[in-house]
Amino acid sequence: MKIEIDRRPLWLLLLLKGIRPLSFLGIAFVFWYLLSIPTPEGLTLAGRNAIAIFLVCLFLWVSNLIPLAVTSILAIIMVPLFGVLTERETFALFGNEAVFFILGAFILAGAVMHSGLSKRIALSIMGRFGDSSRGLVRAIFLLAAILSFFMSEHAVAAMLFPIVLEIAKGLKLRPGRSNYGKLLFISLAWGCIIGGVATFLGGARVPLAVGILKETGGETIGFIEYTVAVFPVVIIMLVVGYNVLVRLFPVDIPEMADTGGLLSRRLQELGKVSYNEYAVGTIMFVTVLAWVFLGGRLGLAIIALTSVVVLFIFRLVRWKDIEEYVNWGIILMYGGAIILGTALDKSGAAAWMADQTIGAWARTPWVVIALLSLTALVLTEGISNVAVIAILMPVGIGMASKFGIDPVIITFSIAVPAGLAFCLPMSTPANAISVSSNYVGVKDMAKAGIFMGITAWIAFNIVARVYWPIIGLGF
Amino acid sequence: MKYQKGYLDNPTLLKIELMLNGIRVGKKALDKVMVEMAGTDEMVDGIDIVLSHKTKANVPYKEEFARKSSYLLKSRRDGFFITDGEGEVKVEIPPIPNFYKEKTTTGIPFSSIGDVHSGYVVITPSKRCDFFYSDVECRYCTANFDSNGGTESTYSVDEVLETVEAAHSEGKAEIIYLSIGFGKEEDGGIRFLKPYIKAIKKHFNALIAVEALPPIDNIWVDETYAIGADSVIYNLEIFDKELFELICPGRAKLIGRERYIDALRYAATVFPSGTVASHLIVGLEPPGYTIMGIDYLTDIGVIPILPIYRPSPGRTLRVDPLTTEVIAPVYAHLYRTVKKKGINMHWVRDISIVTTPLEGRFLIDGGRGFRSIIRDFYNTKVGLKTAWGLATLRRKLRVKESGESSGSSSS
Ligand code: SF4
Repeated sequence: MKIEIDRRPLWLLLLLKGIRPLSFLGIAFVFWYLLSIPTPEGLTLAGRNAIAIFLVCLFLWVSNLIPLAVTSILAIIMVPLFGVLTERETFALFGNEAVFFILGAFILAGAVMHSGLSKRIALSIMGRFGDSSRGLVRAIFLLAAILSFFMSEHAVAAMLFPIVLEIAKGLKLRPGRSNYGKLLFISLAWGCIIGGVATFLGGARVPLAVGILKETGGETIGFIEYTVAVFPVVIIMLVVGYNVLVRLFPVDIPEMADTGGLLSRRLQELGKVSYNEYAVGTIMFVTVLAWVFLGGRLGLAIIALTSVVVLFIFRLVRWKDIEEYVNWGIILMYGGAIILGTALDKSGAAAWMADQTIGAWARTPWVVIALLSLTALVLTEGISNVAVIAILMPVGIGMASKFGIDPVIITFSIAVPAGLAFCLPMSTPANAISVSSNYVGVKDMAKAGIFMGITAWIAFNIVARVYWPIIGLGF
Repeated sequence: MKYQKGYLDNPTLLKIELMLNGIRVGKKALDKVMVEMAGTDEMVDGIDIVLSHKTKANVPYKEEFARKSSYLLKSRRDGFFITDGEGEVKVEIPPIPNFYKEKTTTGIPFSSIGDVHSGYVVITPSKRCDFFYSDVECRYCTANFDSNGGTESTYSVDEVLETVEAAHSEGKAEIIYLSIGFGKEEDGGIRFLKPYIKAIKKHFNALIAVEALPPIDNIWVDETYAIGADSVIYNLEIFDKELFELICPGRAKLIGRERYIDALRYAATVFPSGTVASHLIVGLEPPGYTIMGIDYLTDIGVIPILPIYRPSPGRTLRVDPLTTEVIAPVYAHLYRTVKKKGINMHWVRDISIVTTPLEGRFLIDGGRGFRSIIRDFYNTKVGLKTAWGLATLRRKLRVKESGESSGSSSS
């Protein structure tokens, strides 16, 4: 246990401590006030209560006063308690497909990591393509992106981090000073972030958004349909991202020192490909094929969970190995967010809120999409990206009906930008992991990240305007 | 203020006088004290006497010089008195704690583990000081330590806890001083003291002062505070650099004067005002140096505590002790300086074996300008509970723990 003594003045510490209970008191007061004011025109009583609950959860999700998952539990308690949905409806929503899909995805990713397969792939690709200074950056950037197509971007960042750190140390790069060091670690973070929006598997956001979409409008988005719609954004971001990186942080080391040796040593340590790696790789491959070709018919969650069962039938993993990879907090957060989103929709509160906010001055669907995506991009820099989905999806769904936009398009406009947080270490674990290396400063990340954020917004809106109508997603 | 003979009315002057010259004990008084002490394994040689204004003094009476003292402790039916041949003043002899006559479950007399002085207990869990191994022990050292050279004897956590429990049940363990001699470890002995501190904090609402050697790295100062110490004492003893090297060769060679000062300076930013202290022995260096030491230490937020040097039998170092006339202005300066620098004087108070800054107030204007409300409050049960509560709250607010082990990061 490392100990730190906070030397700030005692009155300040007391004040900061006091803020927490005071905040809860404030929340309780605002909640009580919202429930006691007359119901505004166009809103039902249940709708008013749903908005009051939403505002409480919004504050708690943004402020992180209690863990995100616990805020979701609070939502689960309050929705039936204040008569927005019945108890039965509320708890039934927790059995949403998205919740089980993400549970399956966590377990599958855990199995891949546990078998050592992902590490082997990472080392082989880096060893093969990283034969020049720029080549190595490209290899890390693309590898992080491609791996994030198939497993959570956070897990990819955590997995590649020690390898990249070893390379940086092997090259004797000076933490905080070396441009090349910055280049390597920001490539890692950005690769994960960009790759993470490409499929359902890169993060928890997309399944959550699709879950809310399904519960509220009955529509859904297929595994391949999503990737086809988003891929141009990913390609643009990868190309722009790489060019931004090598220009902002020009390579400052002599042409390639020996990293190949280091990587092949690490690869050798792994030994030959094991039975487990072959077997887990095959199951993963078949699962992705099934998602692509049978996803619509069988459902993504069914496929994911079937693969999980197969993993255990063949004893490829033990429950104990998997437990550390399953983020139960995120699963709880999902359930709560889906319940709250549905409560807002069914009570008419979502439509009413949309009407009163962006709806009051947005005139065309195009402006709505631009504003929603911008809001998601800005919010995601400061708060967890699943929280952004939980906050914006109900409003977005409300917008969809007001402006006659397909809710599927709204879902894309929120789910994709919500994953593109490039600026700050607290925005996403991939950034935090990179900054923790000490090779990248927060300033470096923010400087490059702002540019990428703007690029992401422009790229997303161009793709939405130009490309989506071609694939039948016009608005 | 001019200091003259006839010190009976001024508790601080009388305390200095008694500590310097000791006291003769009249037969009747001695019998009474001896009856009290019967069956105890008393550790400190002096008698604890409470002078006027509740000033506590531990006064030598067995030593050769004490037999020649002009002060006599006598007992009458109406109490104890100290006389200098011309006048007399009434004093109190606090009763010897009952638990002194008891033993731990392992058979060790409590009195050899814990040494009670009014409201606090001094415990030295390990009587070991590695300076003795290398013949670099402090030249004046008699200490509670085994001066024969590090023959180890360590009390277990349970033995110490039993002692604290026994003292606590008699209301004598509001503050616990844990002390340790020099060890080669980089942590200054905190790793060793940690289980004792934690156990005491877990079982008792007591304040803990740690008297240790400065650790090599400041993370151990943080650790000392985090695990529950409310006060820390790193004793520089001698301010003058050359004399420090001469008199405290172990401290100078194996720790270094600079490290003492840095650790004290750092500790003063971690611990509350007035709880970081350092001894400067009066009489082992010219008083001017002690005054410079007072100024320096108070500048960095540290409370100087000034014990009075008396040559002890068996030690080679023999320096003629100073006189009260010379010493008193140093204490007056101490009080004035600590007050001027705004350092809290209420933590280091009521200690019988040294003269504290707060006691210097009687040397300024007879203590008339001093309002003793705070001191009196902190001496009450509620006051002690308040002090403990505030110290605990402060620690809760200040200490942050994160994943990694401090043990590993320090190496
Ligand atoms: S540190 Fe000095 S005074 Fe303390 S026990 Fe060791 S030798 Fe004696």
